[in-house]
Amino acid sequence: MTSRTRHFFHVIAFLAAAFLYAPLGTQAQTSSAQSSTSAHGERWLHVRVISTNSKGETVRVNVPLELAEKVLPAIDHDRLHNGKVRVGCMDCDGVDVRTVFEAVRSSKDGEFVTVQSNDADVSVMKKEGMLFVHVHDKNKPKHSQVEVKVPMKVVEALLSGSKDELDIVAGLHALAGQGDVELVSVKDDENTIRVWLDSKNVTTD
Amino acid sequence: MVLLAKIALGFGATVVLAGAYTFREGVLRVDVDETHGRGQHVHVWVPAAIVPMAMHFVVPRGRMLEAEERSAKFMPLVHAVAKELQKYPEAELVEVHDGPQYIRVRTHNGNLLIDAEEPGQTVHVSCPLATIDDVSRELATLAPAS
Repeated sequence: MTSRTRHFFHVIAFLAAAFLYAPLGTQAQTSSAQSSTSAHGERWLHVRVISTNSKGETVRVNVPLELAEKVLPAIDHDRLHNGKVRVGCMDCDGVDVRTVFEAVRSSKDGEFVTVQSNDADVSVMKKEGMLFVHVHDKNKPKHSQVEVKVPMKVVEALLSGSKDELDIVAGLHALAGQGDVELVSVKDDENTIRVWLDSKNVTTD
Repeated sequence: MVLLAKIALGFGATVVLAGAYTFREGVLRVDVDETHGRGQHVHVWVPAAIVPMAMHFVVPRGRMLEAEERSAKFMPLVHAVAKELQKYPEAELVEVHDGPQYIRVRTHNGNLLIDAEEPGQTVHVSCPLATIDDVSRELATLAPAS
């Protein structure tokens, strides 16, 4: 083998090794970086449904908010267009939802709705920039508790679109600016449903 | 003799480089195992690098057009999801247990992994997100304008 051929062989061997080991290097970096806490600034929306019935159904969904923000505008189906959903019920039974929300937004913290009956207890309150809805359903054979906590900024963003539509992308964008928060909690004898926001890319339960 | 050695070296190096490049792009893998009766076992491993090219040669033109027409309206969505998911190379996305049925969708090392199990059948799919991105972009581009 001539010296030129040997030199050529070394170059080829180096290139082949570089190509072969490049993915391993990436993999090693990725593995070391992997943890339950995602990269800086990432916000994850988690949905967890746990059923204690005989089948023991469990659903875990983890969605990066940024991904949802980017993907939603690509969906053009039924009532969802360009990240906005047409609800057609913003003026329900003569009640203008926007006007009601505007009144709630500009008012001081407090409990706005309290309904107590044999069937259910319902309360709606505003506290520290959050809108709380609490429903205790007594009517079902198995009592259920529903708690919804929505940052006012998110509601505001949802209603920022034109009339009769909710701007989901704007809502998600506003949600991304919030800290860790449990948005929805539903509990009854058989099911537990949670929707929450944090910076972890896995469900730690 | 030296000439033969040079030819062999050139050929060998080309094969090594081509192989290294091909597998560096990842592998599209589909495993289907049926365990009931005379269950079928399908195991397909395809280098992801050749998928976008192979689409044009392996799939008949008629079928390709049909696929493009049928998938056209979904491709922008698939493309957006694949493109964004590449930013999350390690993520648990969906996990569903329903009695004996189980579905898991996650990303690992830049691959989208789908595992589905039910009594008598298991399906595992692994595909590099970059490949899904390439293919969806290509199908979206080729689709007739509506």
